Amino acid sequence: MAAVLQAQQAAEEDRLRAGWYSLLARLLAAPADDEVIAVLRGLGDDETELGAALRALKAAAGAASPSAVEQEFFDLFVGVGQGELVPYGSYYLTGFLHEKPLARLRDDMAALRIARSEGVPESEDHIAALCDMMAGLITGAFGAPADLATQRKFFDDHIGCWAPRFFENLEAAPSAAFYMPVGTLGRLFMAVESQAFEMAA
Amino acid sequence: MSKKKEEASIGRRDFFRKAGLGAGAVGAAAVGLSAEQGEAAEPAKTAPGRAGYRETAHVKKYYELSRF
Repeated sequence: MAAVLQAQQAAEEDRLRAGWYSLLARLLAAPADDEVIAVLRGLGDDETELGAALRALKAAAGAASPSAVEQEFFDLFVGVGQGELVPYGSYYLTGFLHEKPLARLRDDMAALRIARSEGVPESEDHIAALCDMMAGLITGAFGAPADLATQRKFFDDHIGCWAPRFFENLEAAPSAAFYMPVGTLGRLFMAVESQAFEMAA
Repeated sequence: MSKKKEEASIGRRDFFRKAGLGAGAVGAAAVGLSAEQGEAAEPAKTAPGRAGYRETAHVKKYYELSRF
């Protein structure tokens, strides 16, 4: 009975973790549209640091219009030539796109039997893609759920080594208004994940 | 599960709870968002699995602009 209860609780914490990764993935994959903004306006919060960041995101969503958010997304992540930020692992780790970190990621994706969807133009080391992959590893979207050791290795090798800096930069980016609390959320969640992986070791 | 592993797992769960992982309705919100996302993703049954991450605006926008 205790084992069943424990398994249910583990499933609950994993569902929440996957939820956070999915939320970050959605927010960073494309500009938030009406539907996403409506969901964000309905977010709850609590007295934790993450809860405070959610409160800030909810407030930002309350003040946001889809067209302004789209412009902000463009200025931050796309730009004419280049956005204020370049949300790719290879760029953060080497200063260039499509370098060795991307090749290593592709090798690991093949081993985990994860493939990029057809028609997706961004390389796999885009922050939103990596968050989606973490969510999928946790929930088992690519087959059986990955065990913690596998999740940790993927996180350490491809996300933990650069995404915290990306989220810090997002928080501080001149154009970031709606996306500033997204940066805060990402930074805090990355720290929670790193620390939790340490505890499991 | 060994005693040590079990304790680590409980400690981890406790840590997530204190960190506010369950804050607000993030779980529910993300379920709504990822259901929408699921449409673009191919079913995981057709191995190899699909990352299913959506088409984002970057390159598309860049191409649009470069047509001018």
